[in-house]
Amino acid sequence: MSWEAEIVNGLLDAEIDLVTQLPDGAMGAVLEGLHEADVDTLRVEREESAIAAASGAWVTGERAAVMCQSSGLANAINAIGSLSVPARLPFLALVTRRGDLGEFNIAQVPAGYGLPAMMDEMGVRHTVVSEPGALRKTVRMAADSAFSTRTPYVVFLDATVTGYGQEAQ
Amino acid sequence: MAADQFACTAAVVEETPDAVVVSNLGVASYVLAEVADRDRNFYLWGSMGSTTATGVGVAHGTDEQVTVLTGDGSLTMSLGVCSTVVTADQPNLTVVCFDNGIYGTTGGQPTPSIDFAAAAEAQGLSATSVADDDAFAAAYADAVDHEGPSLIECAVEPTDPEARPTFDFPHIPRRVRDSLNE
Repeated sequence: MSWEAEIVNGLLDAEIDLVTQLPDGAMGAVLEGLHEADVDTLRVEREESAIAAASGAWVTGERAAVMCQSSGLANAINAIGSLSVPARLPFLALVTRRGDLGEFNIAQVPAGYGLPAMMDEMGVRHTVVSEPGALRKTVRMAADSAFSTRTPYVVFLDATVTGYGQEAQ
Repeated sequence: MAADQFACTAAVVEETPDAVVVSNLGVASYVLAEVADRDRNFYLWGSMGSTTATGVGVAHGTDEQVTVLTGDGSLTMSLGVCSTVVTADQPNLTVVCFDNGIYGTTGGQPTPSIDFAAAAEAQGLSATSVADDDAFAAAYADAVDHEGPSLIECAVEPTDPEARPTFDFPHIPRRVRDSLNE
């Protein structure tokens, strides 16, 4: 099973009702799989809105996931820090992480490499996935824990899973 | 001429008593709390600029009316969110932007002068602009009946409400959720 299919199946296992997202070439097959599975997706204009919309969905009883790039999660720090965490509005985030192994673009390094530590500083649990083998289970368990504890959970997907640019090779 | 934010907020509650009302941090939430502290008031205490998108998320999961009460300062911070409202295309979502011309909770500094209705229309979001209480009440009733989402820009006089929502932030969304699940 491809890593993209692992993610789609993990989201289906977790009974995610809504995926808020921004365009990300690496996640194209995931988005396609979600459409084929009739999972609602919503493209937003900015990552803060992805977090906010996912947070809003929780008050209706829905379970929402956010898909974005690490630079985008950095855009959304204030939404996480002043909405999701203090109001206890849970979501699952699937974040393609730049800035580590294979990274060629220095502009991706400070935020991408540093985000796990930033999440620690805000008390947001996370895991960095560098091997795709157990991804379905990881996505399912991250979502289940997010919604049962009423806290966000971020799954970072490293370039060892999603691939990396030819520019670096 | 400018409308009264208390009267307009009261008109929202009166017209749509079962609506989830998502209110921007600061003045919009303080006025709403003073008008009526309802179970379905989703007051925000932070995340300036995220109020409208929060309403989009709520509107996805319920058929009830969802009304966002944002401010000119907050909407300026995320003006592109109107495009997300259009993308989501939820018929139960109305966005009200109270334009008091100032950043009301940071000391009253002037906000940029923006034609929010025109900015919304430019992104494909149906919008109207009003500046008195009666015109707002009529525009809100029309917006609720409108088949798609829409935005009302309402010029208001600055106000300094005394009321505050509960400081127990996690209780606020919990109360909304429990009310929707009753």
